[in-house]
Order: sequence, then C-alpha cells, then structure tokens
Amino acid sequence: GHSDRYFKKKKEKMKRGHQDTLHGGGGWYAVAPEMERGKRKTTMGAEEGGEVDELLAALGYKVRSSDMADVAHKLEQLEMAMVSSAATNDDALLSHLASDTVHYNPSDLSTWVDNILSELNAPPPPLPTPPPLTSADAYDLKPLPALPAPADPLVLGSDLQSEVTPSPRDRKRMKVCSSPPSSSTTTDTATSAAAAMPVVVVDSQEAGIRLVHALLACAEAVQQDNLKAADALVKQISVLATSQGGAMRKVAGYFAEALARRIYRPQPRGGVGCCSFDSVAFDDMLHMHFYESCPFLKFAHFTANQAILEAFAGCRRVHVVDFGMRQGMQWPALLQALALRPGGPPSFRLTGIGPPQPDNSDALQDVGWKLAQLAESIRVDFRYRGFVAASLADLEPYMLLDQDADGGGGGKDEEPEVVAVNSVFELHRLLARPGALDKVLGTVRAVRPRIVTVVEQEANHNEGTFQERFTEALHYYSTMFDSLEGGAAAAGADDGGPDQALSEVYLGRQICNVVACEGAERTERHETLAQWRGRMDRAGFEPVPIGSNAFKQASMLLALFAGGDGYRVEEKDGCLTLGWHTRPLIATSAWRVAAPAEDPLSASAAR
Amino acid sequence: MLTREEGEEEQEEEEEEEAKGRRRAFSVNDNVDLLAEILGRLDGRSLAVAGCVCRLWNAVGRRDSVWEAVCHRHVAGGGSSAADGGCSTRSVVAALGGYRRLYRLCIGPALDRLAGSAGGRGSTTTTAEAAAAHHLSLSLSLSLFSIDCYERLGGRQQRPASLLFLCKPVDVS
Repeated sequence: GHSDRYFKKKKEKMKRGHQDTLHGGGGWYAVAPEMERGKRKTTMGAEEGGEVDELLAALGYKVRSSDMADVAHKLEQLEMAMVSSAATNDDALLSHLASDTVHYNPSDLSTWVDNILSELNAPPPPLPTPPPLTSADAYDLKPLPALPAPADPLVLGSDLQSEVTPSPRDRKRMKVCSSPPSSSTTTDTATSAAAAMPVVVVDSQEAGIRLVHALLACAEAVQQDNLKAADALVKQISVLATSQGGAMRKVAGYFAEALARRIYRPQPRGGVGCCSFDSVAFDDMLHMHFYESCPFLKFAHFTANQAILEAFAGCRRVHVVDFGMRQGMQWPALLQALALRPGGPPSFRLTGIGPPQPDNSDALQDVGWKLAQLAESIRVDFRYRGFVAASLADLEPYMLLDQDADGGGGGKDEEPEVVAVNSVFELHRLLARPGALDKVLGTVRAVRPRIVTVVEQEANHNEGTFQERFTEALHYYSTMFDSLEGGAAAAGADDGGPDQALSEVYLGRQICNVVACEGAERTERHETLAQWRGRMDRAGFEPVPIGSNAFKQASMLLALFAGGDGYRVEEKDGCLTLGWHTRPLIATSAWRVAAPAEDPLSASAAR
Repeated sequence: MLTREEGEEEQEEEEEEEAKGRRRAFSVNDNVDLLAEILGRLDGRSLAVAGCVCRLWNAVGRRDSVWEAVCHRHVAGGGSSAADGGCSTRSVVAALGGYRRLYRLCIGPALDRLAGSAGGRGSTTTTAEAAAAHHLSLSLSLSLFSIDCYERLGGRQQRPASLLFLCKPVDVS
C-alpha cells in the first residue's frame, strides 16, 4: 500500500545519506534539520539509540531512523501475510488479531509490526510447552523457518510466574510491553523474520495433544483449588482451540467455557449457572434439532417401541407412561405399529409427564391432541392424560393407575390394562437429589408394569472426583461431537446447518452442567449400563432381553443416516447400545418387576 | 362365377386385412387395468417418468394401487400379508397419506441412500435396489412415515423435518 511506497522512498533517502533533502521539496524539508533537533529534544529524549524519523513521528509512530529499512521490509511482509491469510479465509486468526492480541505500545512501529508479523506467521506458534524457565533454549532450534526466534530468556524470567507454564503467546506479549530494553532483541527477531519468507506451518495434531493436556491440567488445577493456575490454563485452552478444526475446536470451546464458569462462578444462587436459558420451550427446541440431526433419539425411540410392542403382544388394553413427553415424537410410530399388528390395534392409553411451563401451560395437552388426531386417522382407540410435574419424584402411583369411570375400581369387567413405563434420558436427573430415584422406582413398581424401557447415556459422569468426571466427559462429548461432524461430512454438506449447530448447543449445555455445576443443580448425572443394572436390580427389577427385531430395525435405521457407517449398534447382555466407532454412547434396556408377588403398596393403590 | 368368387375372396382378404390392422392397432392404452398392472412393475423413478408420457399414463400412474405395488416390490415384509392384513395396511397407509407419498417421502429416499452407500457396486439400479430392498422393511418405512405425518399435523411446524436425514439438507416437501 501507500506505506510501502512511502518507506521505499525513505529507504532510498536513507541510502543516499541522511543530510539529503528533496530538491524542490519546499520549505518543510529545508527546515527539517532544525525541527529534527527540536523534536529530538522534546519528545525523543527518552528514546534510546538513534534518532526517530520525524515524518512518521508527526503521524504518531516512533521509528528509529536506523531501523527504517527493516521496518519497511516488515511492512511489506505484513501486507503479504495478511493478504494470504485473508485468502485462506482464516477469519479466526484475523479476529484473534483484532481482539485477542495485546499490543502494548503500538506507536513503536517496529515492535508492533514485528508482533503482528510473528503472530501471522505462526498462528499460534506450535512450539512445545516450555518447561519452567530452565531449558528455554531447547526449542529455539525448532526448524520452522517462519518463526521468529523466541523471546529473550531474561524477559521470560522476570515477567512470568513460576508455577504457570507460559504459552508462547504470553511470552510475546511480555516481549512487547518491555520493548525499550529489548530493542536489541527486536532487531534480531526482525532480521531473522526478514530473512525467511512467511510460511504458515501449523502442526495441528501436536496442538491438539497440547490442547487435551491443557484441558486435563486445568481440571486438575480446579480439583486442587488452584484457581490462579486454572485461570491461566483456561485462557491457554481458548487460544489453543483456535488451532484446531471442527469437532475438537467446538468441544474444547464448550469445556473451556464450562471450566471458566466453574472458576468464576459467584456464590450459587437459585437457578444460576449453565442453564441461562431456563425456558422449557428453548430446551424443547434444542431437543427437536438434536432429534433431527443425529440418530441417537431415533434409535432410542425405535428400540424402546419395539420392546414395548413385543410386551403388548396379545393385550387388548394397553397403557404407556412416558416420563419425558416433550413433543411426543416417539409415539406415532408405536401407534402405527399397533394399528398394523396382527389381530388389530388395542385400546391405547397414554400418560405424558412434562415439566411446568411458565408461559405456555398447554404444551402437554397440545401434544396429546396431535397424537389423538393421528390415532383417530389410523383408527386406534386413544386416550391421553398429561401430568405436569417439576420432578418425577412428585408422581404418586394413584395418578398413573387406570381411572375409568365405568367398570369402577380398576375395571374388573374388562381385561386389566397392561402398563409400559418409558424413560428416555430422564432417570439420571433423579440422582441429583438423594432418595428421588428410589421413590420413582417404587412408584413404577407399584403400577405393576409389564415392561419398563430405559434409555440412558453410556458414560460415567457421576462417580469419582471432579477430575475423573471431567476426563470421562471430555472423551464422551468428543465422541459425540465427532459423530455429529461425521454425519454432516458424509452428507456432503460443509456443515450440518442449523440442526448440527443447535445440537451442539444442546450438548454444550450438558457439558456445562456436568463440569460447572454441583449438588442439586448438577442434573446430568449419567451412569453406565452396568451401574443402572445394579440400581434396577436393587430396586427389584429384572432385565428383559431386547429381541433381534429391534436390533435389525436399529441397524436398518442407521444405514439410512448419512455417515451411517460410523455408527455402531451393539447388543450387550440383552441391551442395545448405539455408539460411534468403538465407543458406545447410549444404551437401551428393558426391565420388568422381578418378584410379581403381592405388593402391599399396589394392592392398596388399586382400591 | 369366377368373378363373384374372386370378388368374395377379395372382400374376405380385405376384411382379414382390416381385422389384422385392428389387431395391430391394439394399444395398451385400451385397457387401463392392464396398463396399471404393467406400470406397477416398474421401479419408482421409472414410474414417475412414465407419468410424463401422456395424460392417461399420468392418471394411471397416480393411482395409489400402482404405487402400492411398487412399494411392496421394493421393501421386505411387504406383499406377502394375508388379504385382511393387507387391507388394514392399506387403510393405515391411506390415512397417513397414501402409498405414492410413502414412496416419495420415505422409501424412495431410503433406497437412494442405501444404493448410494452400497457405493460402487456398479451394475444397474435394479440390482442395487434389490440388494437394498432386502434390508429396508415396510415397518420401518411406515414408522418414519407416521412420524412425518404426525409432524405435519397441527400446522405449527414450519417445516416437518423428521425425514430430512434421508435427503441432502434441502427442503423437498
């Protein structure tokens, strides 16, 4: 640009000698020597080294006349680097430069340009994490031509805390703010930068490994209550995350945000924290997009429906209790399957449980109405009841039992209705309050269900220390995000569009809850299938194996998803799991009451 | 006498020729049920193309019974049900929107997806579809169809999206 040409002119001027004046330039240049001297006395007194170019000083930039050639060259490089990085659409980098880079002394043009140049040349520089202060020279020999020589170890030692391993970026900032004393090093780096053409080399795999290490180190710091170190690590994580692409970047972003919340959270107020949007409608909307963009919920619905369908074989009156009604997407398929089963459809009753809605209190009823319309069109006798409950533990058995007006007291004239209880990602929330799960399972037992279908995340995010939970969650959600990314890639789209983005927000809220919340707020208390097996056993349930029909249907369903070859359906001890490559992510299991003996609770409830 | 016989012969020949001409002029369009039977043996894409031939073919090609045959031909667990079972399936499918719609929204895209992921198995579309049909079940298709139908109820939904996973992210509804 213009600055180039200007500097080229100045370079030539310099070469011709300092006392040259432009012929026919005019009075300005004639008086220049006097002005120079005057300026030098007033403003440049503090400046070490040579005089400062007076023309640039008038613009507000301090450039030593001796450095002019170098600065000119650096500005040329800067322009080339910016153009090439803009061409590669590296918006993250430029926005990082715009907002996250700290420039302490931009009027010192030489150092400032050097700073930008070195950032552009290595975004961010993939040097190994420096060990604390001792062998700082070791990585000076890193054979990447574009990198400027790392900062002076003296600067490193004086400015940094010893317990925090500084990132290369931090070192750069330190270098800038202490620029006057280190002007010699600046010149050195300038020459070395000037020597090589700017080559962008990003070793993202190594940066990825460092990112994971940083995340784990930050979790450890939080565990040890070393909040200062954790804070520094969080910042490092945010920077390292920009070097990654796709799923890893997003996962790291969400975990970093969750860690930051945990570190900076105020005293716990009611309802604060991860769920900044407490709106149930927003939650439902995210849930719908998650339903549409990846197969997990569809898998859950299809496998649970198959188990329920088989349990209802031959029954004329059936009742399904859904612990998480939401939009009711599970039930059209079951209604259709019941309509077409040999022998004709049964009389179908549905009880839907949902959370209280502050704004729209009719959502449960709306869903019921839609399902009734569908059932009517396919000629299935349908009845619906919605229950609003803040927690499942508020349910009592009498609410769920048959309350027919005719055949009083449980319908002795007709066949008793057969009950199925369905819970998709609902049971783990009860673990946040002691005793809640036991109460709910007791209620379920009291209803004497023929089958209980449970779908839960296959991960242990409830036991162990915070650090263990963090590590487990990091692996789990990395795999989840990978699967979202894999689905979009296989569909041939650049990204999955709004569905994928909102699914990521949905998962991000879970991440936030797992990492940043504690106590009753932490509702995402996922447990593995083995753990749930233990809980159900202790509560008096025995497993019902899910048949091969469900397996076939699930496999077929996944084959229809783009990126379907990444997903794996597996059968494990009669339960089905859906995973991404080798990692199971969700598990469907089916249960029935183990001892069908007289239960005083249910006998009294039936009356 | 000769001339009269000749005349009769000639007349007979002419009549024969006319009859032959009428036989040669027989077209499948004369018998609509026959046409429907034939069209029902096509695959989905060919049937849709056949609907562009003429108005008659378009009308016949829109019959749900034709598409019912196409659907059953392309999915497993389809056409072998008893008359009663078939009847109830028919009524349910009709209530959900019909076989033509079922094919357009579910079975067609599913078969395309399966054929696509079966990848470079080369050969013709029919073998790929046949291979895919061994896996795609009618019950799964109907389940997906019922979810889509449910989404369209109520009218509050901007676009029913439960089947978009079968297609590229473009609204095809």
